[in-house]
This record gives sequence, C-alpha cells and structure tokens, in this order.
Amino acid sequence: MNNPLRLEAAKSLPIKHKPYWSWKKGCVMTLLSVLFVTQVYPLLWLLLYSLKTNEEILSGRFFSLPAVVQWHNYVNAMQGGKYFKYLWNSVIVTSITMAAVIVLSTMVAYAITRFRWRYGQTVMTVFLVGMMIPLQSTLLPLMVMFKHIGILNTHLSLILPYIAFSTPIAVFILSGFMKSIPYELEESAVMDGASVYRTFRSIIVPISLPPIMTVCILTFITIWNEYILAATFISSERLKTLPFGIYSFVSQYSVNYGAIGAFLVLGALPVILIYFLLSERITKGMVAGAVKG
Amino acid sequence: MNVLKVPARTIAVFVLPCLLLYTALVFVPILVSVYTGTLDWNGINQAVFVGLDNFKALFTIDAVFWPSVKRTLLFAVFSMAEIPVALCVAILLCRYLKRPNFLVSSYFLPVILSVVIIGQLWKTIYDPASMGGMLNQILITLGLGAWTKSWLTEPDVAMIALYFVALWQYLGYHVLIQFTGVTSIPSEIYEAAQIDGAVGFTADRHITFPLMIPVFKISIILAFIGSLQAFDLIMVMTGGGPAHATDVISTHMYNMSFLSMKYGYGSAIAVFLVLLCLISTLIINTLFRTLEKRQS
Repeated sequence: MNNPLRLEAAKSLPIKHKPYWSWKKGCVMTLLSVLFVTQVYPLLWLLLYSLKTNEEILSGRFFSLPAVVQWHNYVNAMQGGKYFKYLWNSVIVTSITMAAVIVLSTMVAYAITRFRWRYGQTVMTVFLVGMMIPLQSTLLPLMVMFKHIGILNTHLSLILPYIAFSTPIAVFILSGFMKSIPYELEESAVMDGASVYRTFRSIIVPISLPPIMTVCILTFITIWNEYILAATFISSERLKTLPFGIYSFVSQYSVNYGAIGAFLVLGALPVILIYFLLSERITKGMVAGAVKG
Repeated sequence: MNVLKVPARTIAVFVLPCLLLYTALVFVPILVSVYTGTLDWNGINQAVFVGLDNFKALFTIDAVFWPSVKRTLLFAVFSMAEIPVALCVAILLCRYLKRPNFLVSSYFLPVILSVVIIGQLWKTIYDPASMGGMLNQILITLGLGAWTKSWLTEPDVAMIALYFVALWQYLGYHVLIQFTGVTSIPSEIYEAAQIDGAVGFTADRHITFPLMIPVFKISIILAFIGSLQAFDLIMVMTGGGPAHATDVISTHMYNMSFLSMKYGYGSAIAVFLVLLCLISTLIINTLFRTLEKRQS
C-alpha cells in the first residue's frame, strides 16, 4: 500500500471520525430500516388486504387494519380455488423431482470426480454449458416432443424437464464437494473388498449430506415456484401446480379482491413457513446456487 | 493411486441415466430449435423449408424484435447497477449491526416467493386507486394525486414499473451474496489495516473491493443472465403488452410461438436467445479472467 495515503488516514482518524459517529450511525440505521420496510411491507400489506372486505380495500386507506377480520375470504379461496389439490400436485411434482435430481446428480458427480476415465471433463463441461441455457427456449420443442410421445398434460411432462434443468447446478455443487473428500477413505473401503456401489452408498453419500441438503433446497425453491412450464404443458384443472393454480384463480375471481389476496397468502404460505424453519440453510443454499460461472 | 479405475460398465451405470435424460431434454430441444428455425411451420400444416428467411425477417423486418432486445439489455444494465448498491448495503450491515442476519434474511424474503405471487402482488399495488392499488392511494394521500397512473397499462411507464418489481425482488439476493462475500473476508486483515491507519472507505478500496472480485463475478453473471432470461414475471404481469411496450426477447418468442403459432419464427428467436446467453457468459468469464490475471 502507498505510504502518503496511510499516514494521512492515520492522522485524521481520531479527530475527524469520532464526532460524526452517532450521526452516521443514525443515517445508516434509517437507510437499513427504509429498505426493510420496502422489502417486507408489500407482503404485510397483502396479508391485511386478504383480511378486508371489498369496501375496505377500495376505500383508499391502505394503512388501516380491517374493522372485522374477514376469515371468509380464506374460506372462499379454499372452496373456489381447489387450494389443496394444487398444493398436493406441487408436493408430488417437487418431491419426485428432488429425489430424482439427488440420486442422478450424486452418481454423476461421483463418476466425474473419482473415476479414472477419459471423458470425465467433457461430461462436466456439457453440464456446465447447460447452466446457461434458458428453460423457456426449450418450451416449444419439448411441447412438440411430448405431444408425440403422448405425455403432454401429465405430471411427467413437468417432472422430466424439471429434473433435466436442475441437474447441472446439482452436479456442479456436488462435484465441487466430492473433489475435497480424502482418497484414503475410499481406498480403505476398496481394500476391505467393498464394491464401487457399496463405497458410493455407504461412504460417499453419507459424507456428502451437507451439499446434498444444499441441492435439495435449491431444487425445492426453483421447482416449487416454477410457473411457465406448468402453464404451457398442463391444461387439466386437476393437474395444475400451485403457481399455475394461483394464476388461474386470480384471473377467474378478478373482482373478489379479498379472496384473491387470501389465495396469494395461502400460495406463499408453504415457502414462508419453510423459510422460517430453515432460513439459515436456505440462504446458504441459495448463495451456493448463485455460482453459475 | 488416487483415482478409482473401474470398468466401463460401472461408469455407464453411474453417468448414463442422468446424461441421457439431460441431453434429451436440454440439448436435443435446442438442436431441434435450430432446425425448426429454418422452417415456415404453424405446427399443423406441412412445414416448408425457408433457409435463413426467419432470421432475416427477425433482424430486418420485425418491428418488435430490436426494441425487445433493447429492453432486455437495458434490464441487464439496471440489474448490474443494483450490485454496487447491494455491496454498500452489505458493508453497512456488517459494520454497523451486531446481528445483521435478521435483516439479511428479511431482505431475502421476496426472492423465495414464486413470480406468480410477486407479480400478482405488484399488480394489485399498481392498480388504480379505485381498485385498491396501494401506490396510487399513497400518492393521493401525499397530495400527489396528479401523479397517479395506471402503471401497467400506460406504454411509457409500464416497462419501468416492471423493472422496478424485478429489481425489488432480487435486491435481497444480491445483498445476501455480497454479505456472504464480505463476512468471509477474515477480520484480521481489517485489523492489520487499521493499525496502518486504513479504516472506512480506504479499507474498502484496498481490501474489500479486490477480495470481492470473485463474488462480483458471480453476481454479475447472475444479474446478466437472469435479465436476458427475464420472462415469467413479465408474462404474469403484462404478457408483453400494452402494444408490445413491455416485450422482451423471451416474451416475444413465447407470443410468436404460442399465440401467433409461428413455430419456425419462434424457434429462430429461441436460437438467438440461447446464443446470446452463451456468448455473454463467455465474454464475462474472459473479462474476469484477464482482470484476475492483472491483479496477481
């Protein structure tokens, strides 16, 4: 580091910075609080909105609490909207996708990082390139393909592309971790006569549980929230996943504001509950998932 | 010996299921798109091979295409402009709060919600005051009734309103990434710098920024590629309207393929989008590699 700058800063430190400390701190706190309000208040507003009557919503007092809490908005939403059907579909689709992604990508990551074969790096590159491909660019060819093999408008038509588009980042995260597992562990297992499959199942998978958890979270958030594929491939009411279900409910009940608000809150509820329980893990997982380069 | 030598059959068992599924559902569709991009086809009639005519029409005749590319790139610029803001917030969080985690996870909350919920929420916020829209009600309460607008149906402001929602939703993600980066810098470095007299912004310039370059790379790629792929939020909120005023590359592709039933033309746009994503990633990666090389 250059000297003059260092000296100057050292001299000015005690005189200049101390008196402004509390004032500066106040500014920072205000800024952070304003940010907190802008990020969280819209969601809180939605909650209030969902508990009001139409008249209260239209009255223009956006800050007010509902006079009488309108729980029947929620009753309307649940009855009119098949909420539980959509929720169940989302659970099915997401959990099958997650299970498949974990099994398939752990196996590939293991093969890429631990086996000696010529094409390991090529396979890795193929997966890395896939991270850059936007899902929507495959919508049309996938639809034509699925129509031909007759699985359009089934859950399978969602699950298959969901798996395919979730594996690249999963393989990337898992192989990054597996590279760091000491080879001695496997060596001793092999010495003891364990097969590759056995080593994989009883040594590699248990050690890799933390990154597997990360992959779980990442896949869950992406797939649970996915809308466009579901809206394009699914047309039967009884097969819709939650995001698509919310969308159709809102377009159907366009004037029953309270019920719309209630349905949106119900739609957000599962993820928010999970976030409250696992916020640390989720934020960690999402940071890991941001690495797409 | 530190890598297992296993028979080819075992490798196949481990790799092929995933690789086949992945290739069939990601790469094959892209290749199919390249082919359909050269057809005049509506999905029902006999397809006619037209060579590069679709691309020619896209680049020269289509009045919606270039504006939508412009909006996509502008969105990328805005998203990247969000990163320095996020870094500042992250530094302030680290420096002034004892327990910053609560705020970081609150800022992050919108990120984990589905775009359908975010989109509908903001649609209701942008609604006219007479329909319960919060933004217009706030403006009226503040005595700024003249500023009220139908935010999503006026072509001049609709795109800005959409940009804002997207930036709002992803601010928390960028803050989280920058925050993780800043907290992972060992505090000893700052202590050593403090002894040398470097505090506050001086310390940030000489310690935080250089050490954060890998994190910037992650954020920039995320912001850039995310913006190029921007799609579902716009589909949910405006569908590209009013009068194409909010069309981006992806929505234009979707509307051409699924509403106008121009399968060939839509595929051509899809191919353009894929190439744009791949090339931009390549450029960003190369830029950062030279930057890192120059540093060391």
